Amino acid sequence: MAKIIRLGNRLRYPITVVKLRKAPGEKIKKQETLLEYSFKWTREVGDSIRGDTWDEEQTTSVTWDSPTDGELTRWLIREGELIVADRGVMEVKEECSHEIQFQGLCAMCGKDMTEVNWAAETRDTARAPISMVHDQTNLTVSAVHAQRTEQELQSRLLQNRKLSLVVDLDQTIIQACIDPTVGEWQKDPTNPNHESVKGIKSFQLDDGPTDLARRCSYYIKTRPGLQDFLQRISEMYELHVYTMGTRAYAQNVARVVDPDKKLFGNRVISRDENGNMFSKSLQRLFPVSTHMVAIIDDRSDVWPRNRPNLIKVSPYEFFKGIGDINSSFLPKRQDLLTSDATTNGVSQKGRKKQPAAKNNKEEVAAAGGDGMANMGDDPTLTKRQVEEQGRAFEKQINDRPLQLLQEKLDREDEEAEKATVQSEDGSESRSSSPPSQRHHVLQDDDDELKYLEEHLTALHTSYYAEYDSNQAPHNLSSVPDAGRILDGLKSHVLQGCRIVLSGMLPRDTNIYRSELGLQIMSFGAELRQKVTRDVTHLVINASQPGREKLLEARRRPHIKIVSQEWLAASFSQWAAVDEVPYLYTARLVGEGDPNQKAAVSDDEVDETTTVAKAPNGNNKFNGPKLKLVSPSGRSHTLSLSELPDDSENDQDDAEPGLLPDDLPDGQSSPIDGLKTFNWGSADEELAEFLASGSSSDEEEQGDDDDDDDDDDEDQDYVVPDDDGGQGASSSSSSSGDARGRAARRSRSRSKTASPSLGGGGRKRKSRDDDDDEDDDGDDVEVGGNGNTPAKKLRRTESQRASSLRNQFVVDAGGGGGGGGEDVEMGSSLPTPGRSDEQDLEGAEKRQNGGGEDDDEMDFDAAELEAEFEAEFELEFDKAAEAEAKAEAAQAEAEADQALLKEQLEGGQHTGTG
Amino acid sequence: MFFLHNLERRVTLHPSYFGRNMHELVTTKLVKDVEGTCAGDYYIIAIMDTFDVSEGRILPGSGLAEFTVGYRAVVWRPFKGEVIDAITQTVNPHGFFAQAGPLRLFVSSHLMPDEIQYDASATPAQFTNNADIVIEQGTHVRVKIIGLRTEVGEMWAIGSINGDFLGYVAPNHALSRAALLIMLLLQLSAGVGSRQIAMALQLWAKT
Repeated sequence: MAKIIRLGNRLRYPITVVKLRKAPGEKIKKQETLLEYSFKWTREVGDSIRGDTWDEEQTTSVTWDSPTDGELTRWLIREGELIVADRGVMEVKEECSHEIQFQGLCAMCGKDMTEVNWAAETRDTARAPISMVHDQTNLTVSAVHAQRTEQELQSRLLQNRKLSLVVDLDQTIIQACIDPTVGEWQKDPTNPNHESVKGIKSFQLDDGPTDLARRCSYYIKTRPGLQDFLQRISEMYELHVYTMGTRAYAQNVARVVDPDKKLFGNRVISRDENGNMFSKSLQRLFPVSTHMVAIIDDRSDVWPRNRPNLIKVSPYEFFKGIGDINSSFLPKRQDLLTSDATTNGVSQKGRKKQPAAKNNKEEVAAAGGDGMANMGDDPTLTKRQVEEQGRAFEKQINDRPLQLLQEKLDREDEEAEKATVQSEDGSESRSSSPPSQRHHVLQDDDDELKYLEEHLTALHTSYYAEYDSNQAPHNLSSVPDAGRILDGLKSHVLQGCRIVLSGMLPRDTNIYRSELGLQIMSFGAELRQKVTRDVTHLVINASQPGREKLLEARRRPHIKIVSQEWLAASFSQWAAVDEVPYLYTARLVGEGDPNQKAAVSDDEVDETTTVAKAPNGNNKFNGPKLKLVSPSGRSHTLSLSELPDDSENDQDDAEPGLLPDDLPDGQSSPIDGLKTFNWGSADEELAEFLASGSSSDEEEQGDDDDDDDDDDEDQDYVVPDDDGGQGASSSSSSSGDARGRAARRSRSRSKTASPSLGGGGRKRKSRDDDDDEDDDGDDVEVGGNGNTPAKKLRRTESQRASSLRNQFVVDAGGGGGGGGEDVEMGSSLPTPGRSDEQDLEGAEKRQNGGGEDDDEMDFDAAELEAEFEAEFELEFDKAAEAEAKAEAAQAEAEADQALLKEQLEGGQHTGTG
Repeated sequence: MFFLHNLERRVTLHPSYFGRNMHELVTTKLVKDVEGTCAGDYYIIAIMDTFDVSEGRILPGSGLAEFTVGYRAVVWRPFKGEVIDAITQTVNPHGFFAQAGPLRLFVSSHLMPDEIQYDASATPAQFTNNADIVIEQGTHVRVKIIGLRTEVGEMWAIGSINGDFLGYVAPNHALSRAALLIMLLLQLSAGVGSRQIAMALQLWAKT
């Protein structure tokens, strides 16, 4: 254990060794003087006041003290030697190398390592910087010791012909959930889910993030076949648990999975010992060599340094919509690839929207705050994460997502039952027989472990095949690398595939850096950004496919358009699975009236060989649409002019009969998004697009008008006596009138305006959503002096804040006059002042509106794109409209009150125009 | 080593407790605050009695009354070189952790007899000489303390089982039974986690 001791760089080199105090063989102690040396330096001497100074060279003799304890074995320097820089001066046999330390104590000699010593340049605690024990962070070892320990481990594994396998818990081998519903279902044998939840084990933790979470039970569902899987795998692998849950959670889960501690022993590492809040690292357990380690985890992004060793499994989603209970301690999930395949409609929808919104928020917060880059044990961050988890827990306990799902499913069942009964024998012969077979939310149909076992066996076999073939003396430095072997196994899987993704990733992400992209490439496929001639597969997200790529791919028949489930299946089976069950057919559907349309699409279905059955019911296509026909026959229509109006009157598409009846429970339908789609408005839109007032369209719109009139009547009814009352101050009446008129006008506008504007109607549609103000401008131009109060109010919502701007607009509006004038007058009232300000703004816009009109007459691709994006904003618009309506009602009520007051007081209201 | 130690502490009492039985309350609060804590380099195991409860002084600003209380307590101060009994907690390749009452000890593999080796293939992992000695989770061991370090409210120690009569303690030994009982009491007073106590109880019942 001889160690070379250096002088250290604090000395004033060059130095001359004057005397060696100790001889080789002598014991030396810390801070004991070992040698004397001298150095030269210059000093300013003389009288500095008179400026009579000069430099004088001085020689100073000092001593150098031992930084360590031990026995001096030999000197590397001689007396009288000139030393110009830091170098080793002696060899010492140390008493203790302090290679293992526990909480600042040397575990070998018991000395306190935290003592700071002036003689030594480095602290003794720095000698053992590596923490490699599963359940402790305060036990650290030196690099040398770590290496020795790891070599022992490797030789033991090689002897037993095993490898190490690091196993993640949440969503990999188990799924945890704290929804109390599970417990209730367990107790209730009549519940349809009873069978599924029967075997679920539960435990309580006393270290939950909140008081609520402390009292709740954790329900642990193991992946089907887990026991056998672990049993067989443990013959080939030494298993470790690595989870982002707390220590107590990890141990309890380990007890559920492995009650005898035969599989995992105490090789359990949790968030508490990980030392990093965002990522897992194999180096935490295997600091020197990860050659004999494989990982199974459902998240690849948490293993940034150990990607080669990782076998990514598809997340286990038994409790639908619950996800990973400890996910607040991980980066936000980015690969939504496989979650869609297993979740059902509700959770899917939730997932779709939330990650987008949440991700952004999270990222903004991260960028603004402590940031993701700060990966250490930041206490504030930890606190935030704990709080986040606490909130999630409370939400789960209070909201009971599982119960909601089951209730929803029950309702659907009931409706389906009703529908079938009615359709079967026409008459209402429902003899109040409850649904004999209720569907259940929880399904245990996961077969991932089967494939996983195959992969792990393959890895083990090829690892030891390579090890055996390498018959050189088996020294430990030449063991094969499991990561490399795994790469080799995986890279054949999708070899030759050239894949383009569509609708899978946010638009501005770099696909080559994304999780999904990396995964695709790790399986040997080439990833392309654009659909070109040599592309073989277009992978689409059926609920939101990108249109351009689809169109492009449709043009090239050799490109297989497959759903993302194909990718997921290939990843999990490690084979290029047969595309046929996942194949989509994209057809460009022409135009015409609905009936004709249906016929056409049916014909097309017949033509398409891969399609098993015709899409039923909902082929009410009215535009040039891209129809995606899924392997199970369900079709998803992607309208090229898909931009529903704001009208919410047509609910006919919500009728159960129009939906496919054969939707297997628990499976998501690619047309889920269509359930809420507003077909009536699509029709209307088409009519505009075609600029042709076909009779069916007219009828349809007539219906709409009727509905609107109903609304208007209601509103008029609220303010019947206004018209007779104060003219100037009765804003509500005039606006109510205006609303009635304008609403009708806006409806009829499509008829009157379309012909005159020709192709421009198309354009206006797009701006309808993009930009309301312009639309109002159009209104005035085309339809006269009307304005639509609903829209006005909606606009108000977004612009209320900018009073400065409004002020400016008032000025402009005063000059503008024009069609908006009378409305202005009418709306100067005691009710919230915004409406008249908005009117003025509207007037201003009106002025500008005319000019803009002509510029945008032509219909180009960019606009189409904008329109497509606008589709996403539709939701928000609807919400805003509802709010606006509510406010309009309120405004009227207020106006009424004001009126009443006025009449009572007999006084005069000073409404300024 | 255990000592009877005379100590003094200032105890504050909330005004709502002012009344006839104030001194009792002061004692109760003292016991609650002090028993089972680590005070520097010793643990206060149990308070025997209190004496010299001073007059209460109202603290300006808060209204709390402050009493200076003298008390006599059993304290345990582990010394370097002391031999104590402990229960093995976890075993890893570098050594094992053991708990002696409130004190956490680490015994590294360097401080074991040469014949005792780590065996990872056993479940649970253990240190063994492949004969009669098996040190695994829950094993009763006798350890000599060779290093101690304290921080505020905490104490750690490094132990050694390299020596005569150290290390594995065979069950069914009258002495070990007594020693374990003492440890158990220590743990009870020191407020160690209930799981560890349960483990100790089990062990004691076994012996």
